[in-house]
Amino acid sequence: MDASQTTDSPARDVHRDLPMASSMCWHCQSEVPGEYFCSRCVKVQPLSKELDYFTCLNLPRTLNLDDKALEETFYALSRTFHPDYFATKDESEQSISLGNTALLNAAYQTLKDPIRRVEYLIRLEAGSARTVQTSPPADLLNEILEIQEDIETLRSLSPEESSGQRQALHTKLRDDRGMLAERQARLEACLSEQCQRWDDLQADAGEDARIRAQKDEVLKDLRELLSHRTYIRNTVHDLAEIVG
Amino acid sequence: MAYSDKVIDHYNNPRNVGSFKKEEEGVGTGIVGAPECGDVMKLQIKVEQDTIVDARFKTFGCGSAIASSSLATEWLKGKTVHEAGGIKNTDIVQELNLPPVKIHCSVLAEDAIKAALNDYQKKAAHESETEKTATSAGA
Repeated sequence: MDASQTTDSPARDVHRDLPMASSMCWHCQSEVPGEYFCSRCVKVQPLSKELDYFTCLNLPRTLNLDDKALEETFYALSRTFHPDYFATKDESEQSISLGNTALLNAAYQTLKDPIRRVEYLIRLEAGSARTVQTSPPADLLNEILEIQEDIETLRSLSPEESSGQRQALHTKLRDDRGMLAERQARLEACLSEQCQRWDDLQADAGEDARIRAQKDEVLKDLRELLSHRTYIRNTVHDLAEIVG
Repeated sequence: MAYSDKVIDHYNNPRNVGSFKKEEEGVGTGIVGAPECGDVMKLQIKVEQDTIVDARFKTFGCGSAIASSSLATEWLKGKTVHEAGGIKNTDIVQELNLPPVKIHCSVLAEDAIKAALNDYQKKAAHESETEKTATSAGA
């Protein structure tokens, strides 16, 4: 009963090339070369803890991803490891299924969002790009501070009094919002350009020092663009709240 | 995640909110940001005879960032410029009982202190430079 149930599990044919935590079954100690289930005792096996999200979902380490493939692999693997299929199994198997599923969910949630995908790639590729402190340009911070102070002032003005000042501030903040939204759009265009650059470099076979240096350069740019985007996005959000 | 009582106290009654005129003599201004969350912090010190006599801040960000900078301005007052340079983010973490995910807020406050001190020192050096030039021109 136990064995047949697992064999019938719909997604047992999913690609089996994910690195596993061990090459030996945790239960019966027989060899499990990359299998999700032990071929002897049919127990589910834990995925390697070092598995990166791209490998986990069988995707190349690029920033323009095939969203459909991402989803399909995720669903297929989820069907393999979902805790619901292990509800009647022993505690060890339940906990392995939970661990594998948690990893899959984290991978899927991270990679399906284009921005989180970039952030993750930067963390993953770390290298020299990670240690570079990205300081936002002083003028951007100054600009944002000024806008935030205006927002604060506008909020503190009561509707009855100083309607002239309110009107003026409102108009100014509306303009600021338009300006920042445009800037955000330009930034996002730069971001996709750099993403494409990364993918092109990834497509090159092999990785010599020259390509690595170029990759680090792209990662640095991506990091900087992301940080600028965060500042601008927050402010645009605050502005939208107050001037609509 | 719950904020500690000290964070809530600083958040509800922030100390020393406001700003000085940047150009004013003895004023050092530090403006820093946290790229991960987009928080922006401005911290200013007013120095007289090498002692920080007053401090102000304005922070647009989360409660922990506000509390960190509010606490920083309290600590800065009465310290010499040299002593102020010794304030560490870990002191802030300890005092406010910040959880690991909010440690970057204390780092931001330390960066802001450093930036303000730097700005003050640069201005001071520039002022004494102009003074010297003025004296030598007059001589």
